Amino acid sequence: MQGLSIFGLLVATFLMVIAKRTPALVRSFRYQSFFLFLATLVIALEERQLNLYVVAGLIFALKVIGIPYFLQYTMKKINVREDLGLIANTQISLLLSLGFAYLSWIFSKQLMSSSETTAILPAVAFFILLTGMFLMIFRLTAMAQIIGLLIMENGLFLLASAVLGGMPFFVEIAIFFDVFVSVVIMGFFVYRINKLFTHIDVNRLSRLRG
Amino acid sequence: MSDPLSLFFLATILIVTIPSFVYSIGYLKKEYSPKKILLGQILTFLFVLSMLAVVTVSNMLAFLIAWEIMSLVSYFLVVFDSEHEKSIQAGTIYVVMTHAGTAFLVAAFLLLYQHTHSFDFNLVKVASQTIPVHTRNIIFIFLLIGFGTKAGIVPLHIWLPYAHPQAPSHISSMMSGVMIKTAIYGLIRFIIYLLGVNDTWWGTLVLILAIISCLVGIIYALMEKDIKKLLAYSSVENIGIILFGVGLSMYFMSKNMSYWAVFALIAGLYHLINHAIFKGLLFLCAGSVYKAAGTRNMEKLGGLIRTMPITAACFLIGAMGISALPPLNGFVSEWLTLQAFFMGAWHTPGTDKLFLGFCAAMLALTSGLAAACFVKAFGITFLAKPRSSYAEKAIESPVSMRFGMLFLAGLTIIFGLGAAVIINILSRVAGASLGIDTSAMVFSVNNITIHPLAGNAMSLSPLTMALILVLCGLLGWIIYKVYRKRAISYNTWDCGYYRLDARHEYTATGFSKPLRIAFSFFLRPYRTTKKSGESFYHIKSMTYETHTTPVFKKYIYKPVLAITFKSAKFMRRIQPGSIHVYLAYIAITIFVLIILIRKF
Amino acid sequence: MRFLPVLLIIILAPLLGGLITKIKNNLRMRQGQSIFQPYYNLVKYFNKEEVVSGTSSWIFKMAPFAIFASSLAALFYMREFLALIFIFALGRFFLSLAALDTGSTFGGMGSSREMFISSLSEPVACLACFAVSLQNGSTDLLAWKSLPLANTSALIAGVALFLVMIAETSRIPIDNQETHLELTMIHEAMILEYSGRSLALIEAASYIRQMIWLLIIAQVLLPLTDPVGISGSQWLLWSCWYAARIVIVAAVIALLEIAVAKMRLFRAVDFFGFGFVLAAIAVLCAVLGY
Repeated sequence: MQGLSIFGLLVATFLMVIAKRTPALVRSFRYQSFFLFLATLVIALEERQLNLYVVAGLIFALKVIGIPYFLQYTMKKINVREDLGLIANTQISLLLSLGFAYLSWIFSKQLMSSSETTAILPAVAFFILLTGMFLMIFRLTAMAQIIGLLIMENGLFLLASAVLGGMPFFVEIAIFFDVFVSVVIMGFFVYRINKLFTHIDVNRLSRLRG
Repeated sequence: MSDPLSLFFLATILIVTIPSFVYSIGYLKKEYSPKKILLGQILTFLFVLSMLAVVTVSNMLAFLIAWEIMSLVSYFLVVFDSEHEKSIQAGTIYVVMTHAGTAFLVAAFLLLYQHTHSFDFNLVKVASQTIPVHTRNIIFIFLLIGFGTKAGIVPLHIWLPYAHPQAPSHISSMMSGVMIKTAIYGLIRFIIYLLGVNDTWWGTLVLILAIISCLVGIIYALMEKDIKKLLAYSSVENIGIILFGVGLSMYFMSKNMSYWAVFALIAGLYHLINHAIFKGLLFLCAGSVYKAAGTRNMEKLGGLIRTMPITAACFLIGAMGISALPPLNGFVSEWLTLQAFFMGAWHTPGTDKLFLGFCAAMLALTSGLAAACFVKAFGITFLAKPRSSYAEKAIESPVSMRFGMLFLAGLTIIFGLGAAVIINILSRVAGASLGIDTSAMVFSVNNITIHPLAGNAMSLSPLTMALILVLCGLLGWIIYKVYRKRAISYNTWDCGYYRLDARHEYTATGFSKPLRIAFSFFLRPYRTTKKSGESFYHIKSMTYETHTTPVFKKYIYKPVLAITFKSAKFMRRIQPGSIHVYLAYIAITIFVLIILIRKF
Repeated sequence: MRFLPVLLIIILAPLLGGLITKIKNNLRMRQGQSIFQPYYNLVKYFNKEEVVSGTSSWIFKMAPFAIFASSLAALFYMREFLALIFIFALGRFFLSLAALDTGSTFGGMGSSREMFISSLSEPVACLACFAVSLQNGSTDLLAWKSLPLANTSALIAGVALFLVMIAETSRIPIDNQETHLELTMIHEAMILEYSGRSLALIEAASYIRQMIWLLIIAQVLLPLTDPVGISGSQWLLWSCWYAARIVIVAAVIALLEIAVAKMRLFRAVDFFGFGFVLAAIAVLCAVLGY
């Protein structure tokens, strides 16, 4: 079950890297969140702790259903082109992300300096983190930035549960709340930006500099 | 803190803010919408509250927070007239300068904390003696710069003549009257009370700064024709006079002349509360003129003494106070400061006497120039014929405004006549701040006579002096009345011209011309003359303008600003404005940091 | 007893003015007016009707009393030089305001110039007083504990005070009491609008002020202790010498007035600059014990 969820996370992340359109990205984010939910659920089943069940439930409710739905709703409302606007095309992105995967593997092994089985989960977490950062930098639209941030958050969550065995419950809840609120706020901003500039290509905001 | 020093400043703040607040009721009416008035009053309330907090808290962190709230709220009050572009400009200069000053304060406080491991005043005071000399010096300099910016010590005064006049007048009155005094509170509290003065050069430096502030402030005030700006520059001057007292006290303290240290600080504190009163009063009067005539330009005013008798009388009292005319309060405090110089110097051995004498002479020069400045301010604004239709239409202010002015005018007189009582109170304040027991020292006799203890006891009683002056005046009046000759009213002597009007009167600019020439080495005046006429031979009209070069702005602030902008331009090259690049910067920074701390 | 000298000064003050004028005239080989002419003038002014400018306000009417009061009150503060300077400033303040009040160009001119001159003379007076007080231990210039006649510091300070006095009593080379030329006049320009009783009060005040300045300078240059515990004949000698000193200073003023031409207004800066340097030297001498 662990293996399946790790595999799923990796696949979903690579899917995001090669996504060209926003809906695809949102869909892949939903998959990734789903596998994150699976991974958490597995741990919850093993440890038999109530708060882990609650966290898993929250992941499902917020990240698999709530946020993706909200993002799709926003996109429909602002009615723009679905292009993500690639700075690096999909082939190069894929190559780079393979590099990231290797990098995070080394990094994780150095950090953990133990057997490969325990190193694999942090490695995936690092990989997701890096990919999130990569998407934020190399995609043009504001939507991509939002999703990139969410991906990074997923990676952080995974890292925390892999390395520390989960954060304190209240911290976890607080982070979920934060993420949700920030997505709502950013959605609102995207809406405003679109209304003002008739597009959500953040690159054009560079005109605003001093 | 609830020691005498805090209580003294508490009293100072309340004495000025309460009448200013009453004044504001009439002042704001009809000028702004009710909503804006409410906002203004809430801000004013916050402002007063923050000032009260500044002088009462006993913790450096709390002090900083109160200080910042005070600065920010006063910024909002400066830009209260947000329609005027000038207000925004003034506000920006103010907020930049005041924050630069706060940065120095933060640095000084952190240094103090580093060596004393506490933010609490009492604990810091106990531990401050262990601070090494170099650090003490650095802390002193930082505190001086930090508080000096707020107090408007030259050359850090640059914001003051912009910000103070631009705020509504009751706010100007509070800012000039009280807010800049909180900086003096800071100087006394942190340097004299917490750090303790051991080095002679501290006091000397403060005295030199005082000389510069006094002279620069009053010379610029003399050149000004905007009445509120004139008052703002005069605040710079008066801060200098207060610093004379404070600096002298530090000087004597470092020489272990405790009596004279207390005496000098009394003089400084006395002038502080005096200035709070009469500068508050003068700003209120100026606001009243502005409201009635719609202009602050003195060249367009004149003759207001007939239409606004109460405002004029109040302004006259304030002007007399600030020009140090007996028997009003300004005279008492300047006399005390001069006596502190004279008597202190007599007890100081060596050639330092020359320096102290020089300081005293500069104080005398300042007071002479101040008198000239306020003869001009009162004479041009209130006397002779109105110079424009604005001034002709002016009417006396409403009751609430008159109350505020009359109250402060009354205080100006009371603080002059009751000097001996006040000095006894101040001696406790000064003693507590310096850590000297003053119970054995004599500063006044019978609560009537001021009495600096010296070789040849010199004493002065403002009350008696007032009595003598009034009696002598009365005598003159009686002599005048004994000869019952006719007094007829006729035109002013016009050399047979018969068309003497307001255009023949001396202007503010003309009045200060001799001094503009005398101080031309500093003011660098220049004039531009333009002829406009159809033909080459006949000139229809001429325009003539004279200006003075703003030396500090031109030679200090402009170069600094230019360098800042240049470096900002350079930095802009790495700022493309694209979110992606910024995100990349963040990512790179994180990686570099991780590599740098070698965690893997 | 305290009021007797005060009364004497008031009564004799105009005489001193007449004396200076008389000496000047005699030095110019003229007969000149009577030494009592100032008294005749005062009486004449008091008995004349007064013309008040319609432009003026209560400041103009009140100023003569303020000026008179300041000069008279100064008599009670001759032993406290610092207060004296400020009391004189009170009279000057009101005179300058009254000059502005009539709206006349002359008045404004006089007022402006007067404030210019006085603000420059104040530091000189202060520093000179400082030098003397360093000898005395107090700002009472009339109190000398011992009598060092050849005291360099006091002499130099006295000269500096003399320069201040020239300005304060509107004498040549700063001002000229004798002309009404708008290019030069300062004090006369300010009182141009006054007439009758008001003018009389102001003139009387000027005479008293002049007397006070002369007393102080005489005391600094040629010090004399108070007549304590001396018998009748000695007392007479003391009074003669006391009066003679003042006459000597008055004669110096008269000499200076006929020997020197009036300066350009802006040269006053140099004039007081010189005075300031003199006073500073006096302080230095006092510090070094000369």
